[in-house]
Amino acid sequence: MSRLDRTNCEEAFRRLDDFLDRRLTPEEMRIIEEHLEVCAWCTREFNFEASVLYGVKRKLRQLEAPPDLVTRILSRLPPNPEGEG
Amino acid sequence: MTLNHGFPVAELSHVMTGASPANPTLPGPAASFESLFASCLSSAYGVALRLTRSKADAEDLVQDAAFLAHRAFASFTPGTNFRAWFLKILVNSYYSRRRREKSRPVTSDLDDTPDLYIYARSGEAGFPTQGPDPAAQLLEKLGTERIVDAINRLPEEYRIASTLYFMEDLSYEEIARVLQCPVGTVRSRLHRGRKMLQKALWQIAEEDGIVSQPARQDDA
Repeated sequence: MSRLDRTNCEEAFRRLDDFLDRRLTPEEMRIIEEHLEVCAWCTREFNFEASVLYGVKRKLRQLEAPPDLVTRILSRLPPNPEGEG
Repeated sequence: MTLNHGFPVAELSHVMTGASPANPTLPGPAASFESLFASCLSSAYGVALRLTRSKADAEDLVQDAAFLAHRAFASFTPGTNFRAWFLKILVNSYYSRRRREKSRPVTSDLDDTPDLYIYARSGEAGFPTQGPDPAAQLLEKLGTERIVDAINRLPEEYRIASTLYFMEDLSYEEIARVLQCPVGTVRSRLHRGRKMLQKALWQIAEEDGIVSQPARQDDA
């Protein structure tokens, strides 16, 4: 890998989290995407990280509250909250 | 976009676009407290469960937050994000409870987790890092409850930020408002929290025999 490629990989890696969270500017996003198009190593790492991130999100969002919880909680609240209605 | 190397960048988009359902807690101006609360209950309970690590305590925490939110409902701006508003009250309630308890010193071996932890360890352990979504295979083998266990192993400040990020799909700015801290602090906690979570997931995978433990544990 050339020195330029190495620099590009380091720059891309430094922005991995922000890239996955879309926290970069459009120009930065484009630069990273262009790098990923030509760098199999970074693409493999980015894909792996994205998959971990997505997998954890997907699993954790399967949790549901107990079915009667909303009824139990609302039944314990005072009838007329200040300012409502 | 499909890369020359056969790694489709488009696959990243399911993470980058959030892939979350439309926010049901952006109501019209006439929405009642009851309907707003019911629409975000599962979110609130899930976050409370991650914070307290106990079903009974989670229900109590949601009850406390519901009482406070109900009382303060006049201060909620109709048309804004009720879920984020309620979660802020819930997290504050949690901190209030914690202050009333004896603070336990938090020790963690997760602080020094290097980047790409699972990826690197997978390579060392002979677990695949290529092919059809190897990370998903590992998470599937772990299962939801063990992923929850991994979140629970994080130090509190990282656990709370990570819970809001992974479970609620809140933006950095929304998490900052919930936690009442700068956006930069949220970013830092999430980035470190992700690394810690990867190490915790790998530790659990080792404990469960999903991946083999090294003969010489020189990074523990």
